[in-house]
Amino acid sequence: MARHKNLFIAMAFVVFLAGLPVMLGNNAYLMLVLCLSGIFVIASSGLDLLFGYSGQISIGHAAFYAVGAYTSAILTTKLGVSVWFGILMGGVLATVFAALIAIPISKLVHMFLALVTIGIGELTHQAIINLPELTGGFTGVKLIPMPRIGSYVFDGISYYYIILAFVILSLIVKKHIVDSRIGRAFIAIRESTDAANAVGINVTYYKTVAFASSAMFTGIAGALYAHYVGFISPESFTLDQSVLFLTAVLCGGMGTFVGPIIGSVVIIFINETFQALGSYQMLVYGIFIVVAVIYVPAGLVGAVRMFRGNLFKVVKRFADKP
Amino acid sequence: MWNDMFIQLLIGAIMLGGIYGLLGLGYGLIYKTSGLMSFAQGEILMIGAFLGYTFFKLFHLPFVVALLATMFIMFLFGFLFEKTIIRTILGRGGTAIHVVLATIGISIALQNVAAIIWTSEIQQFPPIFNVEYLEFGMVKVAPESISGIVVALGCMVLLHLFMNNTKLGTAMRAAAQDSSAANVCGINVSFAKGLSWAISSALAAVSGIIIGPVYGVYMLMGALIGLKGFAAAVIGGYGNMYGAILGGLIIGVIETMAAGYLSSTYKDFIAFSVFIVFLVLKPTGIFNEKIIES
Repeated sequence: MARHKNLFIAMAFVVFLAGLPVMLGNNAYLMLVLCLSGIFVIASSGLDLLFGYSGQISIGHAAFYAVGAYTSAILTTKLGVSVWFGILMGGVLATVFAALIAIPISKLVHMFLALVTIGIGELTHQAIINLPELTGGFTGVKLIPMPRIGSYVFDGISYYYIILAFVILSLIVKKHIVDSRIGRAFIAIRESTDAANAVGINVTYYKTVAFASSAMFTGIAGALYAHYVGFISPESFTLDQSVLFLTAVLCGGMGTFVGPIIGSVVIIFINETFQALGSYQMLVYGIFIVVAVIYVPAGLVGAVRMFRGNLFKVVKRFADKP
Repeated sequence: MWNDMFIQLLIGAIMLGGIYGLLGLGYGLIYKTSGLMSFAQGEILMIGAFLGYTFFKLFHLPFVVALLATMFIMFLFGFLFEKTIIRTILGRGGTAIHVVLATIGISIALQNVAAIIWTSEIQQFPPIFNVEYLEFGMVKVAPESISGIVVALGCMVLLHLFMNNTKLGTAMRAAAQDSSAANVCGINVSFAKGLSWAISSALAAVSGIIIGPVYGVYMLMGALIGLKGFAAAVIGGYGNMYGAILGGLIIGVIETMAAGYLSSTYKDFIAFSVFIVFLVLKPTGIFNEKIIES
């Protein structure tokens, strides 16, 4: 019974989330925040697979987000394919793209890996701008459709349930990856690449798998984003976006399931609440990042664990007193 | 090939290259002494440009005074930044990626501080010299470009002399080479680290004052330049002073020539492609600096 405790909590939470729109009275603004959070959870869970579990820094994940978004947007607007297929292809193309670049990149570590991912992110951004026939350049892609089954269009509240379904699906997939030998290989590489090599783990192969699977999540998130907002342009796929993903993972807690979820919700919530501050919004956001890094370097999950550990010690000390 | 447009482009390229080189120098200095990366250099350049603009235009100080005052202020800023924020992060168990994220946060904050103080419009430096254009035959060059090249060159020479011919500079090189051994020799490695961040900030601020008069001063001017400074550092060999200068010139020339002969929309694409090619094929750079590889 205790072993399944986490599963019960998760299922209860899912039920709660499913009923949330009704509880919030279908408030359009709150639904926007929830939907964006869901998309962010998928994207940052992907980054967490790469960074939290496999220890490889990426400050360029907006590139995969963009590939997913633009692939789906272009396929559905220019070729009229179904949105479901578009989302799938968004994920597939992002995965293939990541696998291709991971092969030459995976020999770099730490700072140099961070730099090259930044370069890839910038290059993708520039490519989008410089291919206007394909991507619409600065004007972007408009009128991106919502998914449909038959004549029923999933817009508004129903799209929230689509996103929720994808979030649950991606977390289940993440769990399967993490619990499998692939996940163990990731963690081994993160802890010590030399030791991993020594026990026969093909480091290059698993690093590529890490990049590819991570991009799949983020690419699908990008496609979901494109269909949700209906219009995309290069501005949404810059270094700032990559930093948002990284901040969500770091401030939530890397290498955990709950971490990216908390981090994403916090980031989206902060971004939306700070809108009211107008021009001070980004300033507060910048300071928030610095403060978060200083005070919760292990993320909120790490802070909670430390707190519970400390709490236990405090309680124990009182209990031991005669 | 040696026609007038080429010479015009070349002068612009050398000036840009000098700036990328100064930024790359700063990155390398920080990396050598503390093993960290700072993403705030681009925004320090921007703040330096705004400060210089304020001193020169709004306070009507002579240009040289404005330049030195800005350098000094940003020097202190860099030193304090390292002593307070960086030390705190490392002391509380943060790693390199935390420092990276913190410097990104600072860069976002600085951008918006600048927007609040100086508005988000492009500000223009008043002309520094009495001549608007210098003419060599058919080539028209703004004197600010030439003075920019001279100032950049001067900084590089001064830095070289400092590093090689002074006691403090040699101590910094020792701390960069092997901090434990330097500690044993009685060198204050902690001070050397702070000094490296301070010098990097001062160099970035000077770069801002060099480029400000030529392209104008605005909130986002540092972002892309900061990234290209990384390219300069990597191409030359990350951590190598002279490599950074060479790398800067290479990026400056490639970018400017691409803009001049191909199309200015492609120049960033080409610059970043070169950056990635180097990172993937020759990450140790031209001067073969050691890097961490798995």
